[in-house]
Amino acid sequence: MNLEGAPVLDAAVLDELRASIGDDQEFMVELVETYVTEGSTNMDSLLAAAAAGDCAAIVRPAHTLKSTSASLGAMRLSAICRAIEAAGRESRPETLGEDAELARTTWEATLAAFAEAGLRA
Amino acid sequence: MSPGQALALVVDDSAVNRKVLARHLASLAIEAREAANGREALELLGADGEGFDIVLLDIEMPELDGYETLATIKGDAALRHIPVIMISSVEELDSVVRCIEMGATDYLPKPFNPAILEARVRASLAGKHLHDLEVESAARQAELLKTIERQKDELSRFLSPQVAALVSSAEGEQLLAGHRRIATSVFCDLRDFTPFSEAADPEEVLGVLRAYHAMMGGLIVEHGGTLEHFAGDGMMVFFNDPVLQDDHVERAVRMALAMRDRFEVLSAGWAKRGYRLGFGVGIATGYATLGRIGFEGRYDYGMTGTTVITAARLSSAARSGQILLSPGSHAAVEGLFEVEDLGDLQLKGFSHPIATVNVLGLRSGSAVAAAG
Repeated sequence: MNLEGAPVLDAAVLDELRASIGDDQEFMVELVETYVTEGSTNMDSLLAAAAAGDCAAIVRPAHTLKSTSASLGAMRLSAICRAIEAAGRESRPETLGEDAELARTTWEATLAAFAEAGLRA
Repeated sequence: MSPGQALALVVDDSAVNRKVLARHLASLAIEAREAANGREALELLGADGEGFDIVLLDIEMPELDGYETLATIKGDAALRHIPVIMISSVEELDSVVRCIEMGATDYLPKPFNPAILEARVRASLAGKHLHDLEVESAARQAELLKTIERQKDELSRFLSPQVAALVSSAEGEQLLAGHRRIATSVFCDLRDFTPFSEAADPEEVLGVLRAYHAMMGGLIVEHGGTLEHFAGDGMMVFFNDPVLQDDHVERAVRMALAMRDRFEVLSAGWAKRGYRLGFGVGIATGYATLGRIGFEGRYDYGMTGTTVITAARLSSAARSGQILLSPGSHAAVEGLFEVEDLGDLQLKGFSHPIATVNVLGLRSGSAVAAAG
């Protein structure tokens, strides 16, 4: 998996989003909170599906995480989830466990990065 | 488009995406409702489909995905006019093509770019607005046609049939605008109606008037008269307008005679109940101005001029049972009716007295001409 050029948190994406909603810090914090809540659930589903080697079940949480992570600048997690989604769709269970573990650690790193960026209480 | 009133339905299983989209829409003054999947979306649309102006629809969703949701919307006659914009990631472009073939209006790439969002949403809303205008205009047109039909019906009830027909005819506007021609004016009213209406119960008074109007109304129509108005016990009818009648004076006199005959039947019934009422008529013929009289909101089709005043004064001067003719009217029907010469009558408001006759009845032998 090539994760070069996929930062844990892309400040440019966040800045663009922030600007597009009129620099509303409160809304940004709320949005990240929603992301964390929704992401935790999806991460749990993703890990469970990976543990079970269930290609069909891993597609949806991987898809949603890929999409929302990209929206908030969590580009590395998005890229990992894109690979997992593809593997799921193509019924390639071999790397699921490994990739899911990478997703989990990246998720933790992403949460820390949001906190560092002042977007998590 | 009036963006302040637009309502969007955002359908996406990601709360983050819904929040961001709702926020962008809010900045375009578009209110957003949210659904987490197709089933929720269809529930909202089913409850208030008419209220939504646009649907933003994600493709990958649990329960009911974007394809099925789109197919349901486009298969529903009540919903298919609502524009649907697909929300899609770059990898899903093949899917987007399929959705557009299924009836989606456009697509919105993820992550969302506010400028693209605005452009696509506005374009779709403009299309929807145009559609709404067309629907509204068609409905208004149908309503207008219904109103015209109803007004024609109503007119024929409120107006004399001639005027009702005139109003809806092509030359109507010209005639309504006002014109001068020779016409015959007939005034008739009840004698002793005022003391009667003071003494009798209102219900009795209305009952008498109703019977009187019904009977006289029928005779006016039968003789081709144009009823200008009823006012309590008084009526003004004119002839030779808007429909031209060669025999307008004769028609007027025949109508007056028929009225007098019928009145005798009515009044005989009333006399038994103790009401003593009489009936008098004044008829005058001459140039008059005819057309629309009144003001915006309340117009009558009427006749004005000295001829009308003469008929009114003759009616006032008539004793019960008398039908008084002006010289003009008399000259036109001379020989057709038995008349009694009353000599020169000084009518109120006129500087010179007027030679007046009272019609007694049809001249024997002229009854054949009574076409009615």
